Amino acid sequence: MSAWTKVGAARSADASPARRPNVGLIGAVFFIVSESMFFLGLFLAYFYLRALSKTWPPPDTPPLSTVLPTLNTGVLLISTLFMAWAERGIARGDARRLQIGTGVAAVLGLIFLTIQAFEIADLGFAPHSSAYGSAFFFLMGFHVVRVFGGVVFMVIILARALIGQFSARRRAAVQACALYWYFLAGVWLVVFWVLYWLK
Amino acid sequence: MASVSIPARTEYLRHGLVSWLATVDHKRIGIMYLASTFVFFLLSGLMALVIRLQLTAPGLQIVNQDLYNQLFTMHGTGMIFLFTIPCLVGFANYFLPLQIGARDVAFPRLNALSLWLLIFAGVVMEGGFLLGILGLLPGGASNAAWTAYVPLSNKQFSPQIGMDIWLLGVVLLGISSTLGAVNFLVTAYTMRAQGMTIWRIPMFVWAMIVTAAMVLIATPVLTAALAMLIADRNFATQFFNTANARLWQHMFWFYSHPAVYIMILPAMGIVSEILPVFARKPLFGLKAVVVSTILIGVLGFTTWVHHMFVSGVDPIVERFFMLTTMIIAVPTGVKMFNWLFTMLGGSLNLKTPLLMCLGFLSTFVIGGLTGVIQALIPLDMQLHNTYWVVAHFHYVLFGGSVFGIFAGFYYWLPKITGRLLDDKLGKLHFALMWVGFNLTFFPMHFLGLMGMPRRIATYTADRGWELGNLIATIGAFMVAVSVLIFMVNFVRSLRHGARAGNDPWEGNTLEWTVTSPPPEHNFDTLPTVESERPARDLRLAASNPTVPAH
Ligand code: HEM
Ligand SMILES: [Cu+2]
Repeated sequence: MSAWTKVGAARSADASPARRPNVGLIGAVFFIVSESMFFLGLFLAYFYLRALSKTWPPPDTPPLSTVLPTLNTGVLLISTLFMAWAERGIARGDARRLQIGTGVAAVLGLIFLTIQAFEIADLGFAPHSSAYGSAFFFLMGFHVVRVFGGVVFMVIILARALIGQFSARRRAAVQACALYWYFLAGVWLVVFWVLYWLK
Repeated sequence: MASVSIPARTEYLRHGLVSWLATVDHKRIGIMYLASTFVFFLLSGLMALVIRLQLTAPGLQIVNQDLYNQLFTMHGTGMIFLFTIPCLVGFANYFLPLQIGARDVAFPRLNALSLWLLIFAGVVMEGGFLLGILGLLPGGASNAAWTAYVPLSNKQFSPQIGMDIWLLGVVLLGISSTLGAVNFLVTAYTMRAQGMTIWRIPMFVWAMIVTAAMVLIATPVLTAALAMLIADRNFATQFFNTANARLWQHMFWFYSHPAVYIMILPAMGIVSEILPVFARKPLFGLKAVVVSTILIGVLGFTTWVHHMFVSGVDPIVERFFMLTTMIIAVPTGVKMFNWLFTMLGGSLNLKTPLLMCLGFLSTFVIGGLTGVIQALIPLDMQLHNTYWVVAHFHYVLFGGSVFGIFAGFYYWLPKITGRLLDDKLGKLHFALMWVGFNLTFFPMHFLGLMGMPRRIATYTADRGWELGNLIATIGAFMVAVSVLIFMVNFVRSLRHGARAGNDPWEGNTLEWTVTSPPPEHNFDTLPTVESERPARDLRLAASNPTVPAH
C-alpha cells in the first residue's frame, strides 16, 4: 500500500526519468500474472482428469524417458544464468556483456526448442490417444509456444543491444525480457516435475 | 484553462475516417468502444424482442426451435461479451486517464489493439450468427447457449462450424480484455496526478482497478478451457469426454462468476461517482466503499460452484460454496448502505443521472436478494434452469449493470460531446425503462416458481404461464421504446443540446476541470490533487479567491 502512495507522489513532472516507475516493466509483471493463470488452468485440468482416471497414464502408454527433458532442464537453467549475467552487466553499463549474454541465452533457448521437438516426436502417444495424452501435449505444447515467444523477445533485445539502445539508465525492456524468461524457466520446472516425476 | 471555448460541433467529428482508424488517443478509442458496443447492445436487444415475441402466447411459430436456440445463444453472448463488459471498458478508456489526471493510458497502441480485437471478434461472432440464421453455414450458428456446456458443444452434438466461429470469437474477446486489464492496471499504478494517494483515487477508478485485476486472473482460465474445447472439436483431443464434462463447468464458471463482478463493479463505480455529486455531499464511508470493492473482488473467486448444485459435485463442497455465496452478499450490502446514507439528508438534484442510479439501486437489490435465495442448495435444486434464474440474472445485469451504464451515459456524454442531453426526454426514458424492465422480468420469478424452464422455444396452454409471458413481452417492448427515446435524445443533443460547459453538474473529479470535450492532451499542465474532490476544491477556490484552494 505504501508503494501506491509513494508512486503517486513520485510521479511529478520533474521527477528524474530514472526514478519514475517504468510502465513497460510493470506491464510485464501484470502480463506474467495472466500467463501464470493460463498455465494454472491447464494444470488444474491435468489434475482434474488425472483424479478421474482409474489408471494414469493409461495402461498401453509407453513409459516416459527422462533423459532428454533432464538435459533440457539444464539447458534452460544455464540459459537463465546467462540472461541474469547479461542483465547485471547492463545494470553496470556493460553493453558487451548484455550482447553476449542475451546472444548465448537465445541460442540456448533455440537448443531447448530443438530438443523439445525431438522429445515430443518420440513420446509414443498422441494428443488424441487419451485424456492423458491431451493434457500432456497441452502443457508441453503451450510451454514450447511461450518459449518460442521468449526467444523472439530475446532476439529483439539482442538486436537493440547491438545498435546500442541500452544503458544502465535505459534497460527496462531488458529487465522485462529477463523476467519473462525466468518465469518460463520456472513454469518448465513445474511442467517437468508434474509430467515426468510426479507418481 | 478558465476560458471556455467549445467548437460548434465536437472537435472529433471533423477528423477524417483514417484518423479514427489510426488513432491511439484514449478518448477517441473510448468513443469507439462505446459506439461499437452500443451497436452490439441494439443487436442483442433485437434478438431479445424476437425471443419475447415468440414466447408471448403458447404455441406460437414466429421462429422455429432451431432458430430460437441460436437467438438466445447470441442474445446472451452479445449482451455479456460484446456489450456490458466492453462498454464499461469504454467508459474506463475515456475517463480513467482524465480522472487520475493523466494525458493518456500507459500503452496507447496496446489500447488500440484491444479495441480492434473487440470489433473484429464482434464482427466474427455477429457475422457467424447472421450467416447461420440465413442458412449459409451448414448446421447454422452456435446454439449451445452462452455457457456452451459440453457435451452439447462438442463435435458430436454441435458439429456445425458456427460453433467454432463462436469459440474463436470468445477467445479473441478474452485476449482483448486481458490486454486492456494490463493497460488499466499500469495506468492507474504509475500515472496518477501528483498528490493522488490511495484514498484520493476516484471511486470509478478504484472499481476499474479491481475489475482489471479480476479480468487478469479469471480470463486466462477461460481461454485455457476454450483452447481445450476447440482442440477437442478439431483435433480429437479428449479433455471433455462425457465422463469429464464437469471440468468445463468448473473452468467456465471460474471465469464467469467473477465476470458478474467484472460487469457490476464498474457500474457500482459509476453510481459511487454520481450519487455524491447529485446529493451534493461527500460519499458516505469512502473507505468502506473501497474496501468492500476489494473484498467483492477477492470473494468473487470463491463462489463459482453455486452454478453447479445439480451437477453432482460432492455435497460437502457444495455446502462450502453455499456459504461463500452468502458471505459475498455482505460487502455488497455494505455498499448499499453507503449509497443510501450518501443520499440521506443531501439536497438531491433529481436529474436523469441520479434517477438512473436510483433505478440501479432499486432493481439491483432485488437481484441480490434472489441471488442469496438461490444460494440455498435445496431451493436452487428447484429453481435451477427455470425462469426464476432468468429473472434473477436480468435483475443483476440489466437492473444493475445496464442502469449503471445509462447513468454513465447521462452523466458523462455531455463531457464527450460538449452538449447536454435533454432532461425531460431522459426522465421519460428512465420511467419507461424502469417500468418496462420490471414488467418484463418480475413475472419471470413466478413463471420460474410455476416450473417454466428457460431455453424453451414454446409451451402449451395448460400450464398457467400465459399471463406472465404476455406481460413480459409488453414490458420488453416498453424497454425497446425507451432505448429509442434515448437514441433520439442523443442525436438531438448533438445539434440542439444546451452547451455543457466544463462542469455542468458541479462534479468532484478532474474530468470536470477541463473543457467539454477535453483537449487532445487532456490537461495543459498536469494537475495536483489535494483531496478526493479536486474539481470541487478548484471551484471553491475560484468562487472565493481570498481563501486558498484547500
Ligand atoms: C429488453 C431487454 C431484454 C430482454 C427482453 C431479455 C430477454 C431474455 C429472455 C426471455 C431470455 C431467456 C431465453 C430462454 O431462456 O429461452 C434471456 C436470456 C439471457 N439474457 Fe436477456 N433480455 C434482455 C436484456 C439482457 C441484458 C441487458 C443482458 C446482459 C447484460 C442479458 C443477458 C442474458 C443472458 C446471459 C441470457 C441467457 C442466455 C442463455 O440461456 O444462454 N439480457 N433474455
Ligand atoms: Cu455465480
